[in-house]
Amino acid sequence: MNRPAVVVTGLGMITPAGNDTETTWHGVCSGVSRARTVPELEGCEIDFACTVSGIDLDEAVGGRTAFRMGKYVKFAVLAAQEAVADAGLDPADWDGSRVAVVVGTSSGGSAGLTEQAVALDRRGPEATSPSGILLTIPNMPAAEIAIRMRATGPSMAPCTACSSGATALSVARDLLVTGQCDIAIAGATESIVFPVAMTGFARSGAAARRDGEPARLCRPFSADRAGLVMGEGAALMVLERGTTPGLGARRREHCSRARGPPPTPTIPPARIRPAPWPGLPSRRHCATRAGGPRTSNTSTRTARRHRWAMPPKQPSSAGSIRTGRPSPLPKACWATAWGQPEPSRPG
Amino acid sequence: MSAIHPKITDVLISTFKVPAAEILPDSTMDSLEMDSLAVAEFAVIIKEKLGVDAGSDRLYKDATLADITRFIDETVGGVATANGEAAMSNPR
Repeated sequence: MNRPAVVVTGLGMITPAGNDTETTWHGVCSGVSRARTVPELEGCEIDFACTVSGIDLDEAVGGRTAFRMGKYVKFAVLAAQEAVADAGLDPADWDGSRVAVVVGTSSGGSAGLTEQAVALDRRGPEATSPSGILLTIPNMPAAEIAIRMRATGPSMAPCTACSSGATALSVARDLLVTGQCDIAIAGATESIVFPVAMTGFARSGAAARRDGEPARLCRPFSADRAGLVMGEGAALMVLERGTTPGLGARRREHCSRARGPPPTPTIPPARIRPAPWPGLPSRRHCATRAGGPRTSNTSTRTARRHRWAMPPKQPSSAGSIRTGRPSPLPKACWATAWGQPEPSRPG
Repeated sequence: MSAIHPKITDVLISTFKVPAAEILPDSTMDSLEMDSLAVAEFAVIIKEKLGVDAGSDRLYKDATLADITRFIDETVGGVATANGEAAMSNPR
């Protein structure tokens, strides 16, 4: 079967390291941990995490709809807007029936559900929000993006725990390859830094316990890793078939508009040790304590099976975590995610 | 009465991101692009903050902000009467 190549044409992110893709990239390359004490977790066994900061989410989301969105939805909406703009696309121009939205989440609005449960228990049904369900269900990131962007193609939310994002990309790829859509907005979102979830991670033994400064606890590739340090955020991609008419021209225009090379980020080599295995372990598994009962090599196996999900190999000039050499900002060029490189390249 | 209860303005701006310039005494929820879910949420917040219980369909749907203000003032002032409710249920 001749499968068309699928390419990544846009990136959007909001993370503890930065409120868009570029600042996230620089934040990651700076090698500085974002873990800090979180006031909302006061009194919890685990009272620290990496959280998104420095942004008024309601203001950024805007409109009359932010009130019905949990944080996990707001993250996804903002990342989607960035990704679509980065792809050089405008929802006002596209045939929405050919646009799919696939946004995974592991726990959706469990924070919102908890809030509503507490309100119901303590103050009765009239204290609960009429938006209670929308603040809770996992498909709302995809749904709100679809509503805002008039994307009326397939819309869904894969829910496969820590690999929900990888599953979303895989599903989106299949939708593109089988011609069920022409554009797919895909990725994942998560926001579970709230007492119930954090207590769950503490009780299961998966989370790193406070041991001095929280910023020193997240060392997922280290032999003496301490356990999971929770984060939050969203990362979405725009995917298209490499054979999409006009893609080359749009890409050339995009690249000509792109910024010049960013200031070179530096990674302090001492802070990062080589990864002990070659796969693509998920966030949780690479942080879970080695040899502990919750450690599994499932994610490593998954990564081997789905090697196509790895980023394309960089030219030899590109840096790596292992060498401590800086990498260029990936946003500057469109990457081929699957199959053959796209046929037309910018001159 | 042409004033708008400060809590109404506050909730519309902070929770529903309605631009302050659009919040006028004769604005209605419709004219402010508040859909039925938003109006229901608005009613819950007003009840939480002011203790004024007003069913969203019955009282807020077609009322102007001035009407709603009058209703809230009368209710909070302990003089809620059938009169106040009648004003609220008048369609524009």
